[in-house]
Amino acid sequence: MGYNWYFQVVWDYRAVFLRSAVVTGELTIGALAIGLFLGLTLGLCRSSRLGVVRWPAAFYIELFRSTPILVQLVWIYYALPILSGIQMGNVTSAAVGIGLHSAAYVAEIFRAGIKSIDRGQMDAAKSIGMRYSKAMRRIILPQAVRRMVPPFINEFATLIKLTTLGSVLAVNELLHESENLINNTYRPLEVYSALAVVFAVIIFPFIYLSQQLERYWGVRG
Amino acid sequence: MSSSPVIRVRNLHKHFGKLHVLRGIDFTVTRGEVLVMIGPSGSGKSTLLRCINFLEEYDQGEIWFGEELVGYRRNASGRLVRNRDSIVSRVRARMGMVFQSFNLFPHKTVLENVIEGPVNVKGQKRDAAIPLAKAMLDRVGLSDKFDAYPTQLSGGQQQRAAIARALAMRPEAMLFDEPTSSLDPELVGEVLEVMRGLAGDGMTMIVVTHEMGFAREAADRVMMIDHGMIVELGNPEQIFGAPAEGRTAEFLRRVRH
Repeated sequence: MGYNWYFQVVWDYRAVFLRSAVVTGELTIGALAIGLFLGLTLGLCRSSRLGVVRWPAAFYIELFRSTPILVQLVWIYYALPILSGIQMGNVTSAAVGIGLHSAAYVAEIFRAGIKSIDRGQMDAAKSIGMRYSKAMRRIILPQAVRRMVPPFINEFATLIKLTTLGSVLAVNELLHESENLINNTYRPLEVYSALAVVFAVIIFPFIYLSQQLERYWGVRG
Repeated sequence: MSSSPVIRVRNLHKHFGKLHVLRGIDFTVTRGEVLVMIGPSGSGKSTLLRCINFLEEYDQGEIWFGEELVGYRRNASGRLVRNRDSIVSRVRARMGMVFQSFNLFPHKTVLENVIEGPVNVKGQKRDAAIPLAKAMLDRVGLSDKFDAYPTQLSGGQQQRAAIARALAMRPEAMLFDEPTSSLDPELVGEVLEVMRGLAGDGMTMIVVTHEMGFAREAADRVMMIDHGMIVELGNPEQIFGAPAEGRTAEFLRRVRH
């Protein structure tokens, strides 16, 4: 009952939050780039008519969706070097691990988005002589992307929060540095609360942007 | 009238799984001819139309568009092998198609819809494609809608824009798949009028429709299809005045009431 909040400690150590927020940002950008690129590729592959293309994509997606990301990260950082000789630093490992994980979900967003477009759109594109790939690029994807924005922002918010798992690989991102700070200051409530606020401040603008985009596209149809 | 064949369908068969939807269809459409297909729903007429530009693959038989076999080629041992996407697309570009649900591209304006094919399939310059597209839109009575988005148009206007989009490719034939079936009754007339105009200009057309009035006055020949087979094929006076087959008479009696 009589806890004395002491948020001054957060202000005193603001440099720690700023520094680690940059690392979190780097992890996010790296993971996002991998997740988007690989996710789009996997999503298109899984939408393909060809089994040889569809099956490996489906296998990847279900493998990464059905296993814990913590295990995936540990595998990439500790087991991959032993098995393949590929040795990445802890930041790169975390970014790659979160990116590979996120790609599975991004792929499903792309696939659902593509599937949600009426079949008549592909028919119409083909009927004016468009090839499949061009119809995808010019007709289907531009419409699908609009429908993907809300679930994609969702996935993006999840991804940013997943970067805290970098702490398992001793990456100096926000959570890891916060925990170090707690060990020095014995102020877990203040530090964790501040951490939550930092994440909210980072994520909220994207949610707002998504809503604005939806409104804009809602008008133009 | 010249009678050079544009579309030739030979012994066409098509299955959907176990369902045998087209069971040996044979007919020829000559240049400038308007062929109207009628028949009960589920009879296979839309599937037949979609096979002609290979939106549906067929299992057996041949469809010829001019001198080109649609969708397939014969390999060394005489078997039919599916053509590459690029070759299939090239033959599709020579036919226009109009759909029951219009299928305009909703993220593009009316004018962008119409120039999409000329610019992105034929590789015309945008500046060159725009006057042609505007001429096509004039022709279907949409001169004041160039910059509208499809959702801002009525069903009849959308369908007319879709016709303009198909015409902008300068097709050698037009396929209409129940073009007025999803329109409010008061909007049907404006679309049929555009189609009558096309027929009058000598466009080769295959039209699947339930509009018997249109079939009677605009068709050169009427084809009655049921259960995936041609029941009878004749001129409109004969089909509507004195159907030779009981099934045709029965179908016509039902659609008239």
